[in-house]
Amino acid sequence: MAARIPAEERLTNLVVALMATEIGLTKQQILDNVSGYRQRADAGTRSDALEKMFERDKEELRALGVPIETIGDAADPNDLREARYRIPQAEYDLPSDIEFTAAELAVLRLAGSVWSAESASGDAQSGVRKIRALGIDGDEPIIGFAPRITARDAAFAPLQEAIEKSRVVGFDYLKPGEDAPRRRTVRPLALVDYEARWHVFGIDVDVEEERMFLLSRIVDDVKVSSATFDASLRDGAGERALQGLAMVAEKNAALLEVTPGTEAALRLGRRATPAAQGITVPFVDLHILADEIASYGPEVRVVEPAPLRDAVIARLRAVVDAHQTQEGER
Amino acid sequence: MMAQPKPLLAADRVRLYLTLVPYLLEHGEVSLAEAAEEFGVTPREMRGMVEKLTVIGLPGESGYWQQPQEMFDINWDLLDEQDVIEITNDVALRRVPRFTAREAAALLAGLQMVAAVPAVSDSGLVAGLISKLSRGAADAPADVVVAPSAVDAVREVVARGVQEGRAISFTYQAPDAEPTTRTVDPVQILITNAQWYLQGWCHLRQAMRTFHLDRVSEPKLTDIPITHAGDVVPEAFAGLDDEREVTVRLPERLAPLLRGFFTADASELINGTVTTRLHLADPRGVKRLAARFGGAMEVLHPSIARSATREWAASGLALYHRPATGEEL
Repeated sequence: MAARIPAEERLTNLVVALMATEIGLTKQQILDNVSGYRQRADAGTRSDALEKMFERDKEELRALGVPIETIGDAADPNDLREARYRIPQAEYDLPSDIEFTAAELAVLRLAGSVWSAESASGDAQSGVRKIRALGIDGDEPIIGFAPRITARDAAFAPLQEAIEKSRVVGFDYLKPGEDAPRRRTVRPLALVDYEARWHVFGIDVDVEEERMFLLSRIVDDVKVSSATFDASLRDGAGERALQGLAMVAEKNAALLEVTPGTEAALRLGRRATPAAQGITVPFVDLHILADEIASYGPEVRVVEPAPLRDAVIARLRAVVDAHQTQEGER
Repeated sequence: MMAQPKPLLAADRVRLYLTLVPYLLEHGEVSLAEAAEEFGVTPREMRGMVEKLTVIGLPGESGYWQQPQEMFDINWDLLDEQDVIEITNDVALRRVPRFTAREAAALLAGLQMVAAVPAVSDSGLVAGLISKLSRGAADAPADVVVAPSAVDAVREVVARGVQEGRAISFTYQAPDAEPTTRTVDPVQILITNAQWYLQGWCHLRQAMRTFHLDRVSEPKLTDIPITHAGDVVPEAFAGLDDEREVTVRLPERLAPLLRGFFTADASELINGTVTTRLHLADPRGVKRLAARFGGAMEVLHPSIARSATREWAASGLALYHRPATGEEL
């Protein structure tokens, strides 16, 4: 038996081999000669198993951002039997005209530090490392600021993947006040962090309109389908999503009366404008604002809109009901 | 740079090699410790990876083994005797690769997040960096956008105190407490959950404290140079010695909402319901949190916290009754 070659060794050898060739290597040349495949071939591994391994390796490398070009038969592009594979250096290399100053690196290091334990943290660090590998002197970190983003929603990762691949997704979505979740089919275009909550912005396929969904209201796994959509729909989607939110906030205004000097007056006052009777607070989601207003108890009263007032009353009544008895036993 | 090195998957190692080689070629001789720290792995792991580099090379020619000059090589003596890495022969991977779509997306979102930090917005570098990251990505990154947050006068003054190393004085209005005047040596501004917090040495309490900037008013930059800048920043919402326990019960699916706001321990899960203990300076303070959950979270003990919660919600509810008739509006 040949010594077992670890996957990373085979994959890295494959990158080196595909980079070193101008005209490309055929699959057979790769399986016969690249270290990691050739030992398996020598040990008698069947060629169809090796070919499958090569297909998986190609996918793995592409996921790492390594561009693998397939040069087919010019007469018949669908005939891949004699196809050649190569990594075009110009598409692999970070373009040489992209340079970073020490001050830019300092900003990027801070930007890379904002993610907590999620996989995005590893991605950000890996990106910063690539810039540091360019060799930049005088890299003074920005201290005294610790911005943090979290993306704990289970739906985040599959939605990001679906956006990258322009794939349609399906998920069950439960709106507050509704008894059962409803199935949504969406072309996801952008992920949006608004007031510390993640939303997915996309086209609701059933109504063919752009919609925003809160990730925390997705109640099961996001299913990424094989159906794709036109990637150009993604162009400028993040910007459109932010504009949409701003428009909603402008349209929705709550008229509130607050007791001066209280937590409610401080916190709500930061984002309010004075009104004839109380203050006006813009909002995007009625239920999220109702949660916050309920937390202030008697410090704030909703004057209008009525649905917000009803939502706050329902919450406060539920709190009273849940704590009716003296002891915490039911 | 990374807190806890995690075991690497094969793909992680490949990604690491693709950046490690140009990094080593650019820097010449690099100590094992420095390279390990840079790549977030243990020195032992880094040594293993560098040794493995010498079996990477160009493919052999129809059954023949590769020539030495077709393989990566390192200065073995330098590594064995001085724990220093040096590549002595390289065959490819000389240039830094493009960013993956994920790397670009993570950094682009981070940039939008830090754009509000005065030290960053003053630099005027963000727009240029966004374009460089986008152009340097191998594939179009998914749009991951962070809505901008406004920097008001309070945030401005506190940020200047941090940057200039000067103490700040301000009025602090904690919930359910009389306002106090504080003088604080600013150490760090923490921005999380879209809220800004000042962490620093409080002259009044003679200890490190965390202040929510929404509760700060009349901030003034003093001429007092700070003396506690080097102190360890407290865990943002760490408990204080004099805190007391409050036992609460809530559905398991809502439990993650408590994380990050309170230190919770000894959680017990029965039939999808979590019973857990929160630590608060004043147990009655749980009323605000409980009301936010709209009845889905039940305060169990102590009874003073339970009754405070009930009364809090009941007096809120009373605002919606017409006093004369008792009729609900």
